[in-house]
Amino acid sequence: MTETRTITISNRGGATYQVDARRPLLDTLREQDVDLPYGCKYGGCITCAAKLTAGDVDQRRQVALNNRQINNGYVLLCVARAVTDITLEIGVESHDKLYRNPFLDPLEPHELKADIATPKEA
Amino acid sequence: MMDGACCGPGYASPAEAIKAPREKLLYTIAIYTGTGIQKPDYLATVDADPDSPTYSQVIHRLEMPGIGDELHHMGWNACSSCHDDSGMSRKYLLVPGVRSNNIHVIDTATDPRAPRLHKVIDGAEIKSKTNLSGPHTVHCLGSEIIISFLGDAQGEAPGGYLHLNKEFEIQGRWEETMGDIPFSYDFWYQPRHNVMVSSEWAAPNTFMPGFDLEEVGHLKYGRRLHIWDFEARKPVETMYLGEDGLIPLEVKFHHDPESSHGFCGAALSANVIHFWKSEAGKWEWEKIIDVENEPHPEWPIPVPGVMSAILVSMDDKYLYLNNWLHGDMRQYDISDPHNPVLTGQVWMGGLLGKAPEVNGVKVAGGPQMYQLSLDGKRLYVTTSLFSTWDNQFYPEIRTQGGVMLMIDCDVENGGMKINPDFIVDFGQEPNGPSRCHETRYPGGDCTSDIWL
Repeated sequence: MTETRTITISNRGGATYQVDARRPLLDTLREQDVDLPYGCKYGGCITCAAKLTAGDVDQRRQVALNNRQINNGYVLLCVARAVTDITLEIGVESHDKLYRNPFLDPLEPHELKADIATPKEA
Repeated sequence: MMDGACCGPGYASPAEAIKAPREKLLYTIAIYTGTGIQKPDYLATVDADPDSPTYSQVIHRLEMPGIGDELHHMGWNACSSCHDDSGMSRKYLLVPGVRSNNIHVIDTATDPRAPRLHKVIDGAEIKSKTNLSGPHTVHCLGSEIIISFLGDAQGEAPGGYLHLNKEFEIQGRWEETMGDIPFSYDFWYQPRHNVMVSSEWAAPNTFMPGFDLEEVGHLKYGRRLHIWDFEARKPVETMYLGEDGLIPLEVKFHHDPESSHGFCGAALSANVIHFWKSEAGKWEWEKIIDVENEPHPEWPIPVPGVMSAILVSMDDKYLYLNNWLHGDMRQYDISDPHNPVLTGQVWMGGLLGKAPEVNGVKVAGGPQMYQLSLDGKRLYVTTSLFSTWDNQFYPEIRTQGGVMLMIDCDVENGGMKINPDFIVDFGQEPNGPSRCHETRYPGGDCTSDIWL
């Protein structure tokens, strides 16, 4: 039996969708006619980034987000699966904290991508 | 407009190319990927004929089949490298999607004003057959085509080279080996010296999400040039540029096929690197241009130029470079390639506030990609770099879109001037603001042709 999760999209009037918990959210939401941006479709490019505001996802396969973006709630829908029922903001309206000028706003060592980040000093 | 009179595509020599008729159409890619507009990227045809009523306007838009490609650079199926082959013609433009991995083959000859899609080489098929992703530079060599890819199928460096035949069928990997090359990006070859030179950006998984400056220090970005034995398809020597050559991007040899002199723009160091083969047959390099970082009123650290492209005029006399974050385009006389002389400079956009508006249009972004007419007199410049990088440095480009400007270049005495009658404002596109990037001309241009 397929396990389903309820996805609420807060910046689309709180619309809700039932999705297969085992499949990437980009696929299951687009199949239900949610118009979503995407690029590489393997978790490498952040074009499909959305902001998770409630619940948990499994996005182990993503390789593009740095730890600051993850801490700000960004998830890559092309690889993320809903672990619980979740609430998302989608599209570029959700990207207010996705992009930064690296000369104005440097990352701390613990905010880098996972493969080069060092643990935050206590 | 077709190529020169005889034989196959292109011209017998650079000198012949310079005498070709003036370009009347330009092909420029325009993107919606990363802009919030849910439309495909497209190839825009721009009218460059000053006698036409639609001069300086987009007159046709060929949409790609899907969204999210991020069209970027492109190249021809044939150039002057098969000038002697009457069975070939410069008919198809190959337009890769950096993010989707798809290669679009576009027929520009049947109706040059309204190019049509001929074939799509599916990105997933390229991954499964060759383990490559992140396509960038397209060059033909004779009737065959090679395309540099920056990553493997998982987006990790160093990628490699896709080999296509003239029917655009996947032949596999072009290179025998990548040796110990850590990253890929651009390449140019000079057959009479049996050499190819390749440069280094970063892995797709590093640069596609945007620019984390901190990753430069973690050696996630390139700082080397690679010399290849072109016939053996193997890298044979590395030039370690170090701090002088951080993020070495565009590579251009002299157009003169006898010359071994070439140049590379190191984007983050904002330096031009000159390389050549010495009389003893040894490859040498030196830094010949160093653009200083500029102070910015609101930044704690000075702004680097970000020299994302360079271009050499068909007569090998002038080198053009851009500083995307500063906002200037420069012209150097490189008659003596060891001692360039600054002969022209103009400003458009940029972060230093020198030219926020040009020809009545607010410029979002800075000078970024450019293409020079074969006679060297008209330089067409666009302002978008890459969707995620644009979004970091010039967020206003989302609502303003990119622009294309034309610079009049004085080929006799040196000098540059922005043409007051030409501007294509991609902020006014029918589906909303798009961003223009690389440009090619139907009859060939200064970044397409190589002579065997």
